[in-house]
Amino acid sequence: MTELVLQNVSLRFGGLIALDDISFTVSPGSLHALIGPNGAGKSSCFNVISGLYRPTAGTVRLGVQDLLRLAPHRVARLGIGRAFQNTALSPHSTVLDNVLLGRHALTRGGFLAGGLRLTSRQERLHAARAREICDFLGIGASVDRPLGALPYGVAKLADIARALATEPSLLLLDEPAAGLNTDETAELAAMIGQIRTDLDIAVLLVEHDMELVMGIADQVTVLDFGRVIADGTPADVQTDPDVVKAYLGVTT
Amino acid sequence: MSRLAWIPVGIVLLLLPLYLEAPWLKAGQYMMIGAVGAIGLTLLTGQAGQLSLAHGFFLLVGATSYTVLAGPKGDHLGLGLDPLISLVGAVAISALAGMAFAPVAGRVRGIYLGVASLSLVFLGLYLGQAAESLTGGTSTGRDPATFKLFGFPFSNEGDLVVAGVPIRGTERIWYLFLALLALAYWLARGAVRTRIGRAWRAVRDNEAAAAAMGVDVRRTKASVFAVSSAYAGLAGVMTVLWFDILKPDESEYGTYGVNTSIAFLAMVIIGGLGSVGGAVIGALVVFGLPQVLTLYSTDLGWFTGSVTPVLVSSFVYGAAIVLVVLFEPGGLAAVGPRVKHRIRELRS
Repeated sequence: MTELVLQNVSLRFGGLIALDDISFTVSPGSLHALIGPNGAGKSSCFNVISGLYRPTAGTVRLGVQDLLRLAPHRVARLGIGRAFQNTALSPHSTVLDNVLLGRHALTRGGFLAGGLRLTSRQERLHAARAREICDFLGIGASVDRPLGALPYGVAKLADIARALATEPSLLLLDEPAAGLNTDETAELAAMIGQIRTDLDIAVLLVEHDMELVMGIADQVTVLDFGRVIADGTPADVQTDPDVVKAYLGVTT
Repeated sequence: MSRLAWIPVGIVLLLLPLYLEAPWLKAGQYMMIGAVGAIGLTLLTGQAGQLSLAHGFFLLVGATSYTVLAGPKGDHLGLGLDPLISLVGAVAISALAGMAFAPVAGRVRGIYLGVASLSLVFLGLYLGQAAESLTGGTSTGRDPATFKLFGFPFSNEGDLVVAGVPIRGTERIWYLFLALLALAYWLARGAVRTRIGRAWRAVRDNEAAAAAMGVDVRRTKASVFAVSSAYAGLAGVMTVLWFDILKPDESEYGTYGVNTSIAFLAMVIIGGLGSVGGAVIGALVVFGLPQVLTLYSTDLGWFTGSVTPVLVSSFVYGAAIVLVVLFEPGGLAAVGPRVKHRIRELRS
């Protein structure tokens, strides 16, 4: 993978400044965390990377590719997989069907090809890969169940499975631990570590759970009010006075 | 339904023309027209989540295109093409018309899209009356060319007898419609289970997530409008063959009018949004009921004065929609699995 570089990115909604001159780099194969209090601009940052928001200024590059010139579906095809904050899956479809959506860019065929059963071999091959990914994440037993009938923790993993199904080199995870209990969070942390090491995928993680972040991240970027206030290893960031101030509200 | 269960259904449908009188066959054919159109709409509204009230308009596009393509050169514009080619051409033209609406569909959502699409029905009403050289106008209408398959006419022409039963125009059209419906059903079932079906549902459930998975949202919407309009166009071709006349509507209420668009929506909701099989069942209810009630009207003796079979069936399917929305949002298609689930629960 090539590195993801955000350079002087600003995002304005009318008078509201969501991102103010943000710069950071996600290195290949690293586990990079993006943290900050509520409203710091973490999700906005994700939406800029995946092309859903267009920044007012700045550049976003993946290697030499300028992401800002691409439509969102093209960004996905470059190898950036994304899991959503509250999962964005189809509740009536099965887990497998949801995960297979991640194979969209890797497959071909429209209405007639599907209707005439010309794609059945392709469907079988990709379904097998989707099952493999679900097995890897430990939700292999639920693949054929409708998503709406499953516990939230499984749905979260299905969302990650779908992002992995795009065969990304960079995985964006938006608050994967939100709504999970302590045990589930610990399992998830182990899982994210595994994704990075076993699959050799760089992970950019937005998270509130400090314990999770500090335990597994290589690099941490801290946002507050749309600005980068710290960028470094977890140890560096934890002792940074600006970070302590932003989180605990300590003055002087 | 399992594959084996289709065999008896198929046999019954193939044998019906040998037993049923022509009026019953006509009623059945009308239900098949509804089923083809409803399958198209359930893909658009049910699978891809795009509300449309323009289905009646695309029926008119298909109906007119067939009549013009296959029609003889004469008072009206006619290209005199082979009827099969004309049928395929009419479906293709309808698909293109649907795709032409895509720029609008990409900009408005939900009920606003529904209202925007409704404008097409009024456009159709105007064009149907204004373009007399194509449609024949509201007063006389225009005769469509007899459908022929490699020279075999789907009319009373020629003698064909099977098991002592003469297979005339009505019987032949039954088989033609049955084949078209089977093809329409099979294609739709295949498509929803594969890549394009997943893209439709993703666009319906969350456009941002769909895009993040590499789905080109705008293109997907355009494609589903094209597919749905192609189905409506085919239903339109079947409509002119059924009436044996192309006659544009005199008001917004008619064969290609608002009421037709709403009837198709009713089929799709009653059957269960997004279910291909459900759309067929919905068509049996919504298009079948007035036909069957009309056939029984003298025996029943209910219908006096303004109480017509059409009126009574509108009330019935109106009530059916309310019941479905309140008690079974999955529609009639969800009733079967639910009953099966209940039985399994009771057993254990």
